Amino acid sequence: MSNALLVATDLRKSYGPTAALAGASLTVRAGEILAVMGPSGSGKSTLLHCLAGIVPPDSGTITYAGRDLTAMSDVDRSALRRSEFGFIFQFGQLIPELTCLENVALPLRLAGVRRREAERRARSWLAQLEVEDVANKLPGTISGGQGQRVAVARSLVTGPRVVFADEPTGALDSLNGEKVMLLLTQAARDTGAAVVLVTHEARVAAYADREVVVRDGVVHDRLAQSLGRAA
Amino acid sequence: MIPRVEARAWLRELLLGTRMALAGGASGWLRAGLTALGVGLGVALLLFAVSVPHAISSRQERTAARDDVSFETPPPPSDATILVGTADTSFRGDPIRGRLLQPEGAHPPVPPGLSEIPGPGEMAVSPALARLLASPDAELLRERLNYPIVATIGDEGLAGPTELAFYLGADDLTLANDTVTRRDHFGEPRIGRTLDPVLSLFVVVIVVVLLVPVTLFVAAAIRFGGEARDRRLAGVRLLGADARMARRIAAGEALGSSVLGLVVGGAIFLIARSFVDRVELFRRSVFPSDVQPDPVLTLLLVVAVPVASVAVTILSLRRVVIEPFAVTRQSGDGRRRLWWRLLLPVVGVVVLLPMLGSLTQSEGEVNVTMVSIGVTLVLVGVAALLPWAVQAAVHRVQGGPVSWQLAIRRLQLDSSAPARAVMGIAVAVAGAIGLQTLFSSIEANYHVLTRAAPDRAEIYLSLPLEDGWADVERLDREVVAIPGVLSVHSRATQAAVIDPAAGLASHDQPTTLVTVGTCDTLRELAELDSCAEGSVFIAPEAQQANTVRAIPAPGATLGFLDVRADSPEVVAEWTLPATARTVAGRLAPNGDEVFGVLATPSAVPAEVLASWPGWGVAYVDLEDVGSRDWDVAERLSTVVWGVDPGGYLTWTTAALATDEFAVVQNGLLIGATVTLVMIGVSLLVGVLEQLRERRRVLASLVAFGTRRRTLAWSIVWQTAVPVALGLVLAVLAGIALATVLLKIVNEPVAVDWSIIGLVAGIAALVVLAVTALSLPPLWRLMRADGLRTE
Repeated sequence: MSNALLVATDLRKSYGPTAALAGASLTVRAGEILAVMGPSGSGKSTLLHCLAGIVPPDSGTITYAGRDLTAMSDVDRSALRRSEFGFIFQFGQLIPELTCLENVALPLRLAGVRRREAERRARSWLAQLEVEDVANKLPGTISGGQGQRVAVARSLVTGPRVVFADEPTGALDSLNGEKVMLLLTQAARDTGAAVVLVTHEARVAAYADREVVVRDGVVHDRLAQSLGRAA
Repeated sequence: MIPRVEARAWLRELLLGTRMALAGGASGWLRAGLTALGVGLGVALLLFAVSVPHAISSRQERTAARDDVSFETPPPPSDATILVGTADTSFRGDPIRGRLLQPEGAHPPVPPGLSEIPGPGEMAVSPALARLLASPDAELLRERLNYPIVATIGDEGLAGPTELAFYLGADDLTLANDTVTRRDHFGEPRIGRTLDPVLSLFVVVIVVVLLVPVTLFVAAAIRFGGEARDRRLAGVRLLGADARMARRIAAGEALGSSVLGLVVGGAIFLIARSFVDRVELFRRSVFPSDVQPDPVLTLLLVVAVPVASVAVTILSLRRVVIEPFAVTRQSGDGRRRLWWRLLLPVVGVVVLLPMLGSLTQSEGEVNVTMVSIGVTLVLVGVAALLPWAVQAAVHRVQGGPVSWQLAIRRLQLDSSAPARAVMGIAVAVAGAIGLQTLFSSIEANYHVLTRAAPDRAEIYLSLPLEDGWADVERLDREVVAIPGVLSVHSRATQAAVIDPAAGLASHDQPTTLVTVGTCDTLRELAELDSCAEGSVFIAPEAQQANTVRAIPAPGATLGFLDVRADSPEVVAEWTLPATARTVAGRLAPNGDEVFGVLATPSAVPAEVLASWPGWGVAYVDLEDVGSRDWDVAERLSTVVWGVDPGGYLTWTTAALATDEFAVVQNGLLIGATVTLVMIGVSLLVGVLEQLRERRRVLASLVAFGTRRRTLAWSIVWQTAVPVALGLVLAVLAGIALATVLLKIVNEPVAVDWSIIGLVAGIAALVVLAVTALSLPPLWRLMRADGLRTE
């Protein structure tokens, strides 16, 4: 698989007695939009956190562009997240005390970009996601849909190679959800970023190039499952 | 009048809120637990505060019940009398109360804490002294108190649980010894000492300064978990509650937490009280049974805390709009009003103004109510001004590194929570600056300058001379043999009547002091050109202190009296030689003025020296200069004990605090220590609560790859900015308070910047310590677990 960007093999992760991942394996190819589906509590968010290097797995390996994520220090993984990854969460997780513009500029500033330049690039992304008008507002004063588009802008502003989106439309109505997905996938395709999209909604997963299903901590290929059922 | 239906709705919603305070499983219990802990710590401290009067009176009652000092004529010897000798000593600076007991009959009075008088050479000791004597470090004390222990002194015979005390049975006590008295009972009526007006003012200010921060912390703790509560209230609104109902439910939540806090506070109080006898602060300790809260004040506390919690919650929700899907705080946009915040300290100062110049050490009466109100308003004003000051300061701040930006934006969005967290510190600092400035200004008035010269003798020993000059010679011999002693100069001194033949009946018969010592010793006491054995000198008194004291002329006859006899009689006479030279007296190394007759031993008739009923003093110069050599001191005490247990050792110091001032000073130190610890713990609980509330935001910041250092600095800035502003406000308010207080006691206003620096520095250290302690939980909260929703 020559264009494999992120490869997870036999990941296991438990929270106390509960096994969230029980031998999950997955490959994310460069530029693809991958939907990770599954019921609540199946382990899909844990899988995303492991893939992104936020949570180290108990066992198994994750390689990103040939580098072993599981062997990296916390500092190195943080640096990787700053430069190569972007994140979108269900509730946006915008920093409530920063304006939308400052929220979007934050990953750049964390990467050492000067404030003026960071805000210039952030403003351009806000415009691309059609929320330039909320640039100077606080997250608490804008709608959920606007907040999520700001979160998408924030995830893409550093030019990441992978965007991790955990239920990005979970808190939105269908109209706003559609809008956010459209803008996210379009922007990702424009920049060539891969998107790992955790969702339990089929209409959201429909934006993806490929789907996998997590069940009981194990990843199943959606196509293989369908074929299995057909057989 | 509130209609019944509305009252019922109020009650229902309050109860619903109370239930919600504990709802939400582990997280709900944690939230309620933190609030209860914060409130509980404050309540426990307040309970201890309202127990202080009982603790003091219990201690005083016990010490009065064992008191054996009376200015009455001793009773005649009988079957029911006992001779009591003072045998106080010390160990490494800790005082040990000692008494020698010698019954004169079959039915002697027994001091409290004992069931019977120990036999001669047997000892009853306090539990603390028993422990000390059994410890390996007390070898030098065991050399002195080497007697079999036959009983333990009961609690009723001790000032406090850590008091070092003993009763030693004796069979050789006589009233000829100045330190021995005859008693037919133990205990003297308690003499109610009243503090002078200045010290009274000081005490009132101390109480207010220590209690206002605690009260503020209780109020702050009630508001822990505000953000989570607002989210819950939004949920309640979604279910159909209107805005007023939501506020009442919030009030109910606070009520539930505060009641839980009262329970926790009561439990902390009871648990801490059971260990209180193990704690000694500045040589003061109390028995658990002494710590009994005043019932009226306790009732007030039990009512005030829940009422205040409801009031504080309703006030805090003024600027919060709770909608079914969102909670909006208006504080970010709306500027805080300054006028009423400024009004508080201004009114406080105005309340104090009529008292300006009204007090001196000897005149005036402290208006406790007005002083309490005035000082409280000034201090509460600091607390009220702080959120305004923080908002005003950060309002237009832009730029800076990410950590700074995160902190400033947080403060711009809502400065009240961080300001609340440091309010207690700011108020404590303002109060401490006010108190310390007053303290240092009046301190000189309460210190007696001893005029001692520690460079000539670090220690002096005093003891009654039962065997006359022989005791002095023994003292000299044994002291100089102690390693670490450089030199010793001993003298024997007693009063003598000039020209006793003129008749002793007259009370105004002139007397003088006669001091005997070697030439070396006399040179320490007077300016001598030459001295040889047999020399006699006369040193006039620099300022004659009373009309009865006189300086005899050469050739005058001196009569030595037995002052213990019912009618004083001359026991020995000595005629001064005509060759006695007049010399100038020096100050003794311990600061005593030297005057009267100075003689070498061979100049005094042997029978006078042998029956010397006076006191011996030895000035001891040590090899070690600067630090106190406790081992040498203990060996010296043992030598004194061997000569006469009534003797004692004193370190020479240039100035001594008066007793009352020392007690107030100790009270301030105890209170300040307890308050500071309490503030530190409460601050830590507050910071942890804030961190917990921001768990999700912190976790998402970590997900972006935010460095730990960046987040740690943002926490530091977020605390440091309000602390810095709080300290500036506190310094200003503290100086204002000190100025008014100094004007009240007619002292010149002088600002001591070293005190301000010290107090502000200590406060900053507390904040730094709290920040350091909050970092490990911050690291834990920065894990991605915060992102989990399932």
